[in-house]
Amino acid sequence: MATVTTSTPDWSGRRSTLASIRLAVLTFLADPQWLIPSMIAPIVFGFVSYELFLGSPDLVVYVILGAGMMSMWGQTLYGSGWATGQDRNLGTLEPTLSAPTPYLFVVLGRILWNVVSGLIGIALVFVVVVAVSGTVPSIDNPLAFTVLFLFTMFTLAAVGTVFAAAYVYTRYAGFIQNVGEFAFYIGTGCMFPVIILPFWTNPIALFFPPSWALDALRYAAIPGYVGFSWGLGWDVVGGIGTTVAYLLIAGVVFRRVERHVLEVGNLQEY
Amino acid sequence: MGAWPTAAPTRAPYRSRFWRTLWTNAIVAPKTTLGFMRIDFVLGEIFVIPLTQMVFFVFVVAFSYAGASASEIAEQISYVAIGNAVATVAYASIFSVCQTTDSEKQLGTMEHLLVSPANRTALYFGRGFVPILISIGSVTMGLVYAVLFFGVTVAPGSELVIAVSVTLTAFSMVGFGLLLGGVALYLRTSIVLGNIFLFIGLLVSGVNFPISSLPYPVQVASYAFPLTWGVAAIRSAIGGTGLAGMEVLWLGLALSGLAAYGLSIALWGTFEHRAMTTGSIARF
Repeated sequence: MATVTTSTPDWSGRRSTLASIRLAVLTFLADPQWLIPSMIAPIVFGFVSYELFLGSPDLVVYVILGAGMMSMWGQTLYGSGWATGQDRNLGTLEPTLSAPTPYLFVVLGRILWNVVSGLIGIALVFVVVVAVSGTVPSIDNPLAFTVLFLFTMFTLAAVGTVFAAAYVYTRYAGFIQNVGEFAFYIGTGCMFPVIILPFWTNPIALFFPPSWALDALRYAAIPGYVGFSWGLGWDVVGGIGTTVAYLLIAGVVFRRVERHVLEVGNLQEY
Repeated sequence: MGAWPTAAPTRAPYRSRFWRTLWTNAIVAPKTTLGFMRIDFVLGEIFVIPLTQMVFFVFVVAFSYAGASASEIAEQISYVAIGNAVATVAYASIFSVCQTTDSEKQLGTMEHLLVSPANRTALYFGRGFVPILISIGSVTMGLVYAVLFFGVTVAPGSELVIAVSVTLTAFSMVGFGLLLGGVALYLRTSIVLGNIFLFIGLLVSGVNFPISSLPYPVQVASYAFPLTWGVAAIRSAIGGTGLAGMEVLWLGLALSGLAAYGLSIALWGTFEHRAMTTGSIARF
């Protein structure tokens, strides 16, 4: 009688994510024009805000951080949604979900690259704003700033992963991206501190990890910054807590979404 | 053997009727080629985007004028609220309309369309019909939000002047969108072009700050963009300028719109030729 041998699946999360990042980079290099649509809005908003800030040197850092944040947000929202939508249109979503590699790692790789590519927006705004204002903003603690900046990027990736899970499930990814764009910029305080919004909006903002991370980043970068009253330390704790929660939610949602869409068989509907 | 069959009588070449083509396109385009015309998008464009866009820029103003007097802050908020209410016209008029060529390419219908005898002018104008209505809807809703939430005061008796200004702005901006759609015929995609002109008005059209603060060449160039005239006209109308005082602004608005429509029709042949020679007619 023949024996059935079981083998461990031929994949690992790390390898899948790295492969996905590599593919995302290659796709980007082959057709970099797709970076432009999601970068135009943040850059224009950055310049408009600079003009509205009346060129105040104190607010230059707000403009650069805000435009950069919006650029990364845009890339996360549009990039992850667009990739899933494109998979759906081209008919590759079903085979990708049927592959042994969990779709979560495929999406994670794309999102990580999308967030990193959003840095091009911040670089562009930095160069132009510095050229126009004639001042290079100084940062008190460059090391803390760098660490917190990387942390902010990671929080965006966590949110992007949850959105991507929802995008697999829904045909309305485009709607969420386009209609929700300004709401995300407002809710996470991209161009101004969340505390200047009406008080009832603050708890909603705190559901998003980037709100905590950006507040912490401003505490580290802007002397005399007045953000959430609990200060930088608790911002970091809150940011880590919400990011972990998002990643856990993303894991659970992805598993359920994958099972559900395969059962219902509506992956190709668009 | 019988005689050779006689040739069938030749008919006059088929000419589609102008109004039929116009109306068919007006009805069909939102379901096929115009971008973002699903009902959820349309409702979002009219009811959600104007509010969120205005809130964003109003809070930027509130933050930057933190130390200013209450009246100065209110004045700036009012300025930005009106400007952004009008700027939302670009979503339907530019972003949706200029995607028609992309959609045709992706659906594989562009080649068939170009060899059809359909009247190009009717085809073009027909597609703009529904976006004009949606543009009017989004600007009107934006102005309602401006009054309800941002303290904008509308001068008594100015409703008719505002309505004419909003309609002219929507009409002219759709013309500009059609022009961009034509240019996109020989580009690989219209998305980049659409995104640039969707937001560039925020910077150069007096939406958030007066255009006098821009470099002079940019000021001059901004008057080629119908949104600049539209924003100025609607601001004046809200301020209580009567019919007589609106002549120049309306003329500028109408001329910039007509120029866009005229150019889009006149250059369509050039766009077609370029697209055929570069092969971009089927590239997306």
